[in-house]
Amino acid sequence: MHGSQFQGRLFGPGLPGTGIVARGHWDALGRLRVTPDGVGLHELSTDRPEIAASGFNNACLRLSWQQPEGAYALLIDSVDDRSRCAATAPEHCNRQLAAAVRQPDTLERRFRLGWGLLALLLLVPLLGLALFLLNADRLADWVVDKIPVAQEARLGELVLAQTRLQMKLIDSGPAVEALAAIGGKLTAGSAHRYRWFVAERPEVNAFAAPGGVVVVFSGLLTSAATPEELAGVLAHEVAHAELRHSLRGMVKGLGLRALVALVMGDISDNVLTGAATRLTELRFSRDAEREADANGLQRLVAARISPHGMLRFYERLTAEQRPSPPALLSTHPASGERLNWLRREVAALKGPWQPLPVDLARATAALR
Amino acid sequence: MAMDVIDYMIVGSEMQFVEVELDPGEAAIGEAGAMMYMQDGIQMDTVFGDGSQQASGLMGKLLGAGKRLLTGESLFTTVFHNEGQGKRRVAFAAPYPGKIIPVDLGQIGGTLICQKDSFLCAAKGVSLGIAFQKKLGAGLFGGEGFIMQRLEGDGLAFVHAGGTLQEQVLAPGETLRVDTGCVVAFQPSVDFDIQFVGKIKSAIFGGEGLFFATLRGPGKIWLQSLPLSRLANRIIMSAPAAGGRSADQGSLLGAGILGGILGSDD
Repeated sequence: MHGSQFQGRLFGPGLPGTGIVARGHWDALGRLRVTPDGVGLHELSTDRPEIAASGFNNACLRLSWQQPEGAYALLIDSVDDRSRCAATAPEHCNRQLAAAVRQPDTLERRFRLGWGLLALLLLVPLLGLALFLLNADRLADWVVDKIPVAQEARLGELVLAQTRLQMKLIDSGPAVEALAAIGGKLTAGSAHRYRWFVAERPEVNAFAAPGGVVVVFSGLLTSAATPEELAGVLAHEVAHAELRHSLRGMVKGLGLRALVALVMGDISDNVLTGAATRLTELRFSRDAEREADANGLQRLVAARISPHGMLRFYERLTAEQRPSPPALLSTHPASGERLNWLRREVAALKGPWQPLPVDLARATAALR
Repeated sequence: MAMDVIDYMIVGSEMQFVEVELDPGEAAIGEAGAMMYMQDGIQMDTVFGDGSQQASGLMGKLLGAGKRLLTGESLFTTVFHNEGQGKRRVAFAAPYPGKIIPVDLGQIGGTLICQKDSFLCAAKGVSLGIAFQKKLGAGLFGGEGFIMQRLEGDGLAFVHAGGTLQEQVLAPGETLRVDTGCVVAFQPSVDFDIQFVGKIKSAIFGGEGLFFATLRGPGKIWLQSLPLSRLANRIIMSAPAAGGRSADQGSLLGAGILGGILGSDD
């Protein structure tokens, strides 16, 4: 008989409110008999106790019954005692018992499901961010395709106004005319209305804003030996503008900022947004540079301008040992791989090339 | 494991502290920062985890510390050990107005489920664990959150909560509806759940929120009259520095007379 006993806590009228330890067992007639621990307490018995899961987290098995003096309940919380109780229970209790034993598991399952859903809900924006980052290029292309040329020109106007604040731009004179003469050949048939500017800065650099604004630093103009060399750089910048690289960079940066704000809340002045934006804006990716090189080369060929100038200019810039590399190289890294590629491409191209009718020395005389 | 039997005295009325008397060789554990004073001969030792297991290995210690972090306790527990010859006393003070209640874990069956952050001190040997509230409804709307604290052992434990604390005994099947947030502790035999207030009108205008917490017997429960968050809310509401309204302290025309006449009366 001892092996089928189960221990629990008995609550009932006349007993301490916190319950007392009691032992129960099922007798041969299928009655529940409960013996409280303690002197002067007599055994209780019942025919049909109500069996249910109860207590914190439904972790206890509750056997409760009514007696004339009030309601009694035996709560069994240890796993071993619960299974002993279930194993020796009479048949008429089995259904209730099975349901009560299942209850904590059901609760556990629901608990896990609930937290799983919550975790999923929290993960969805992060997943969105990851998906966006993976498809950023394709998404940016799609958005950029929807932007009309007129809009792009207005954007270029804004960039131009911004640039004017930072540096002095020359928009007329022999240097600008020379740029326009070479650029006109490279941009034949373009949807954009190109405008050419010379910035009075000693750095060897040039950049293209959206909408056909090309700014060449005077340092670059003076370091170019032939009009063909200048044409090579211009072709590269025009290619950036035609392929809408800066526009794509802006769209990516804006999209990223919007999404980061969506996921992390409004952190507009936070370090994170700044870092994310810096990473994507204004700096073209290596792929974009390669694309611009290829496209620029095509433009040179189409205009029958010798591409050797482009190659020579890059080679000279790379070979020149300066304490700090020229700005054009730091924003357009001329890696050995890129130069080798350019050499191969140029070697494969066959002339004849038309000389450019531009007197570079005269055009840049005023800048020196 | 034999628990240390400690004598105690709770001092004060609304802002209490408990003074625990330790026999030579006895020890008590306290929430870090709760110690108020201690006599000569009492050694203070800070242990990582809850100090209940002596040799549980690094993983066990880390797990115990993690549990304490989740329940809002600090990572370290302080053990106060009487190394002296005679009886020595150490006192632990409650961190905010409220009451301290002693719970004899041995008498209630060895386990007490209580509000997180409510543990103050206990005899050495009592272990602190977390009790996850697995009923989603009760966890979300029951006012006590998903994480509660489980005190296990058979010694004395002291629990502290804001306002006045009252213990009640629920008979088998007896149910008590309690305002959410007012449940401090209960025996594990008590069923903790929630119940909708019943009518949309009372849910919106009744001021009791959408749900009651329900406690269903059998077992002993402890309730508090004033959760700290409610007290803090009232203080902030009437603190001018925090954007609240200062009564009777502004200028004559502004907040003083006119404010007093036009404002409400709390």
